[in-house]
Amino acid sequence: MLTFLARRLFVMIPTLFFISVLVFVIIQLPPGDFLSTYLNELQAQGEAVDPAKIAFLKQQYGLDQPIWLQYIDWAWGLLHGDLGFSFEYNLPVTEVVGDRLWLSMVLNLSTVVFIYIVSFPIGIYSATRQYSWGDYGFTLLGFLGLAMPNFLFALILLYYANVVFGTSIGGLMDPEFINQGWSFAKAMSVAEHLWAPVLVIGTSGTASMIRRLRANLLDELGKQYVVTAHAKGLSPTRVLFKYPLRMALNPFIADIGNILPQVVSGSVLVSVVMSLPTTGPMLLTALQSQDMYLAGSFLMFLALLTVIGMFVSDLLLAWLDPRIRLQGGVSQ
Amino acid sequence: MTDILRIRDLKVEFVLPHMRVKAVENVSFRIGAQETVALVGESGSGKTTISQAIMGLLPKSAQITGGSIIFADPKKPGTRVDIAMLDRSGSEMRAIRGGRISMIFQEPMSSLSPLHTIGDQICEAVRLHRKVGSSEARELAREMLALVGFPNPKRSLKTYPFELSGGLRQRAMIAMAMVCHPALLVADEPTTALDVTIQAQTLRLIKDVQAELQMSVLLITHDLGVVANMADRMVVVYDGRVVESGRTEDVFINAGHPYTRSLLAAVPHFDMGPNERLRPLRDIKPKIDGLLAYCDDKKTAVTATMDEGEVPAALALHPTMASEPVLAVRHLNKSFSVRKGNWFNSEEQAIPAVADVSLTVNRGECVGLVGESGCGKTTLSKLIMRAMAPDSGSILFRGESGQMTELVGLDEDQLNPYRKRIQFVFQDPFASLNPRMTVQDIITEPLLIHGIGDATYRKKMVLELMEVVGLDPRFLNRYPHSFSGGERQRIGIARALSLKPDLLIFDEPTSALDVSVQAQILNLLKDLQRDLKLTYLFISHNLAVVDYIADRIAVMCAGRIVESAPREQLFRNPIHPYTQALLNAVPFADLEHLLDFTKIVDGKASDPHRWPAPFTIDAQSDPRMVQFAEDHFVRAARADSQEIAI
Repeated sequence: MLTFLARRLFVMIPTLFFISVLVFVIIQLPPGDFLSTYLNELQAQGEAVDPAKIAFLKQQYGLDQPIWLQYIDWAWGLLHGDLGFSFEYNLPVTEVVGDRLWLSMVLNLSTVVFIYIVSFPIGIYSATRQYSWGDYGFTLLGFLGLAMPNFLFALILLYYANVVFGTSIGGLMDPEFINQGWSFAKAMSVAEHLWAPVLVIGTSGTASMIRRLRANLLDELGKQYVVTAHAKGLSPTRVLFKYPLRMALNPFIADIGNILPQVVSGSVLVSVVMSLPTTGPMLLTALQSQDMYLAGSFLMFLALLTVIGMFVSDLLLAWLDPRIRLQGGVSQ
Repeated sequence: MTDILRIRDLKVEFVLPHMRVKAVENVSFRIGAQETVALVGESGSGKTTISQAIMGLLPKSAQITGGSIIFADPKKPGTRVDIAMLDRSGSEMRAIRGGRISMIFQEPMSSLSPLHTIGDQICEAVRLHRKVGSSEARELAREMLALVGFPNPKRSLKTYPFELSGGLRQRAMIAMAMVCHPALLVADEPTTALDVTIQAQTLRLIKDVQAELQMSVLLITHDLGVVANMADRMVVVYDGRVVESGRTEDVFINAGHPYTRSLLAAVPHFDMGPNERLRPLRDIKPKIDGLLAYCDDKKTAVTATMDEGEVPAALALHPTMASEPVLAVRHLNKSFSVRKGNWFNSEEQAIPAVADVSLTVNRGECVGLVGESGCGKTTLSKLIMRAMAPDSGSILFRGESGQMTELVGLDEDQLNPYRKRIQFVFQDPFASLNPRMTVQDIITEPLLIHGIGDATYRKKMVLELMEVVGLDPRFLNRYPHSFSGGERQRIGIARALSLKPDLLIFDEPTSALDVSVQAQILNLLKDLQRDLKLTYLFISHNLAVVDYIADRIAVMCAGRIVESAPREQLFRNPIHPYTQALLNAVPFADLEHLLDFTKIVDGKASDPHRWPAPFTIDAQSDPRMVQFAEDHFVRAARADSQEIAI
């Protein structure tokens, strides 16, 4: 188990390295850089630009150096917690991002928890009472959740919250807390506002998770070892929870790695619509304006989430399933 | 002595969306104290449904619509419970299920949860039905594992089912069922999935534990050999009804119902005369004419013009070399590598699957290859088909030209002409036919692949093949799902015959079929071989089946052929300890040849290290095949005799 853990951790290092290279290359792919975009903008407005100033800026930002040197500078900074400098905001990336990273994490984690809490009992119910009215009802709701675009649901929710309840559910906190330091009241405000985006972002994930759990559990319920457990005289609920449910968990846990980045990228549109102070909208503008260090930091953050998610799900799988733990090294 | 279980007029129906299907109708029988009753029937006869009704484990769509299942618990004298009236998942039924009546199942591989240790699963049963603490439960589980013959019961408590062999898993399953000392054990095909030596050990174990715990056994099986050896009384079910029941001796000696008689006549047994035939319920009369018969003429023509001198010197050693060999396998080796260790220093470990195998198949002959699961017989067949390449050795095959050709080392293109000369019939008739192709497409596909004939020829060939395997040509446009297992296997045989191959390899072709269908297929194969002069390599784990169909038999164990002899000689005078162990372990459907349970040794008879000298195979000695009698070869170390190829 220890060697497995060590091996798994070791594998993460080259993975992250390759991702960082890839991220850097992708950001550099469109022609030009932030400065040329900036220059074009200035010239379009009819302003004269001093070539000496341009050259100075280029040197200042290191844009005149070869791309691999730029990469090494950036990666070296990342390793020391220095995310670089945002051209657009004229501030270090850390300051630009500020609370956004944490708020995104809170929002996305709550969404994942929401998805699991809601889909679990419904999935079990649907599988154990297959083709009942309840099953059909949840199936219908699930398809609605899957078919409806998140941002549309967000718009509908915003509209009805305003019209029916007269409240605004946009944002992640009451306006007076924006740009304020963290306090208990601010945290409470965030908690109050969290439910709406969590509901909006989590619906489709929940719906697909219910479908998957239902299918997995249905497969397992027909297996021979379930009959054996019944033949022992166990009560139906205990049979369900101890045997088939435990087996059906595997794909569920293997999903943790996928669900994190899915939720993050899926929430960009919703964040724009609901004006959430999360990383999504900022990533979008950063990519548009070729603000390379800002965009790079966000992309690396996403990659890190994915890799950590995969690591966690691998660990949980090995812990839960002795077949993975004990047979991992044997292959033909 | 009172009866433990009395079933009277039991009726079970399956309620489907548009109809009700009667699965069990008016079934009545009883099980006495400490008695073994066998419930015999073919698949679909309703025997499993009866067992599920007793256990209260019927599927949701099944309903008991009449009759009673009275259970009289010997521990609580005087009480009678009608299981048919109980709520299936109610607490009263749950107390009986697993506590007083327990069950073991057919599939030892899948009936234990892979995520929980053996100890966990057994202790759970103990604590459910007895008021004991966890340490006490572990102690009881350990005792039970020791009773069922686990070599190291204490450590075995902590193992997971996938770490155990099939035989040990079935033992663990038996331990789990027995740990609460039930009054009745329901065993649903407990040994069908096991190898014959393991089957004998498991049967002995059930008998021993039954005597030890003084319980009754309801044995559900289709294997009349098991019935003859285990049961005091037997109940024969057909189509949901009991057609005959009585003491095992009475039924075997003087079967009253025609169905029972035909079942008994369909089982192959060892003392059949050379021309005695099995009598299946429905016989197939193959009709042969036209295209296939022509292929027969061509073969005889080739044989006639063959030059005696072209038999390779290596083959000439064989005494029956006068006949023409179609396939000659020499010293074939194949091993699979298993990676062990961690990421940084993995070491490749080679596990030999086929080791030093030599085998000859002559034209018009049927060679039987017998061995237990994992002995390498399927790997050998794949090597002969050149579906995989051997590590070393040679495979000589007589192609169209009449010359023996070395198949090892040929590339895909060079192999192509030989591909149509060797055809294969698979074990699983359900998985080996593409469900999206019609029977016509399935049978003509080999012709299309090899570009043989035009549309009219193919059409004519298909019609003839259907006649040959006894299927109605009107079924040509149907899909495989509308056929039964036996009919599908016949489609598979027709497909294999379509290319008029020189060699047909059968890999356990009847092991998935009922006995009466098995008899039908075996008779068909015999007739086809006689009429079309076909050459068979017949792989099976069932000694009686091989005995019925094969002319020569090779016994395979741990990747090696250990004994090879003509059929009569092998069974009359087996020399190798493994062959003897196999023969001792086969349950005959014959009351005069009951299993001698004292001769069945625990532990693996298939471990080459444990064979006595001169048969031992280990690091020091690696014996070769030596000749004992004419055409009778055994793998043994004997200084005075030199190695002779078979």
